[in-house]
Amino acid sequence: MNPSATSAGLVLSSAAAWPSTPRVEIEGLALAYGRQQVLQDLQWRLDPGQVVGLLGRNGAGKTTLIEALLGLRDTSAGSVQLFGQPAARLDDAARARIGYVPQQSDLFEELRADELLAYFRSFYLRWNETKVQGLLERWAVPRDIPIGRMSGGQQQRLSLIRALAHEPELLVLDEPMASLDPLARRDFLRELVERVLDRGTTVVFSTHILSDLERVAFNVAFLREGRIALQSPLDELLEETRLLIGQDAQLAALPGVEVLSRRPGRWLVRRVDEPTLAPGLVAQRVSLEDLFEALT
Amino acid sequence: MDTQIQFQINTGSAEPIYRQLMDQLRRRVAAGQWRAGQALPSVRELALELAVNPMTISKAYSLLETEGLLERRRGLPMVIATGHARPAAARDRIEQLMPTLQRAAAETRELGIPKTQALELFARLLDPSEPGTPR
Repeated sequence: MNPSATSAGLVLSSAAAWPSTPRVEIEGLALAYGRQQVLQDLQWRLDPGQVVGLLGRNGAGKTTLIEALLGLRDTSAGSVQLFGQPAARLDDAARARIGYVPQQSDLFEELRADELLAYFRSFYLRWNETKVQGLLERWAVPRDIPIGRMSGGQQQRLSLIRALAHEPELLVLDEPMASLDPLARRDFLRELVERVLDRGTTVVFSTHILSDLERVAFNVAFLREGRIALQSPLDELLEETRLLIGQDAQLAALPGVEVLSRRPGRWLVRRVDEPTLAPGLVAQRVSLEDLFEALT
Repeated sequence: MDTQIQFQINTGSAEPIYRQLMDQLRRRVAAGQWRAGQALPSVRELALELAVNPMTISKAYSLLETEGLLERRRGLPMVIATGHARPAAARDRIEQLMPTLQRAAAETRELGIPKTQALELFARLLDPSEPGTPR
């Protein structure tokens, strides 16, 4: 039996243990730094196999949310469950099914790449060494210098390899491509497409690189004012959303539309019946960047 | 000789990626450039080539299959469906182009660009090899 067939077997058996339990289920989450309320009454749910891009402005709390999701932060209210277990008290089996790439490198700087990976390998029952060696080669991660002397991009690649090595069922990536050059980003996206997404892995990642997000995130979630303001399949959002330009009185009179954001004379709405629009109102289609501007 | 099946996508557009793929295939088939029996890349191959989520490719393929433009064959690649051996009638092809032209016309008016100038630009875009008329 070849190694990939073995790992496929493991995936099936572990998927059977949690057939449709949400990978992440957050209810009523609140978190503050001193007096500053960062997250409040936040609801969020990620089902098996969902690939979700998390969008929000700088300082909106994306990293805080990701850390709280992983049980790495004290919360002031609400519950966070991973694979149906409280995130703060995960058992080892659930922990081994999670891969995480933090925004700030948390690798041991004095170790070399091989030493670091050997160390992490000891924690996991499942570890795809063939994949690790292949990626180290393909992503040109230097093996002969300590991690502390690698460039930011090299450290990020190593961090990604560490997160992919045990073939997690939930992959959490915080700005995974921020210090990668365009070619390395594309190569990472291909790795995601080829060997992560087609295994039914649940992926959540935050990024400001909208073109990357558009390629791989089937769903997008917008973090605004401490809450997930909206989560939707990106295709539907692009197709159903229109920027309506006109007088506020006319806009307010529209029946049955879902208003996503409102600025004087410019309303972003969902499910508007275009043919019935009053004369004088203009409906424009929107791009992901327009949505980001209006919803974050 | 059939034209090779290749797709292109643009990110940052208001058009979702799966729609871009569907529209490209519809146009190529209408033009008779991609023809009945020609095999498409597998979902996985195309997802890798374009670096997009395989679900996006599957969605485009399935919808095109429902429309009767693609045919699924057990264990084999998807192919352009039988009945699309020749270019579509000119009238049908023009109909497919109309929404784009209407949008371009509306934007031209909104930007206040004179008709002659717009037409000249369009002619140049249609035939980039032709030496540009001096402005």
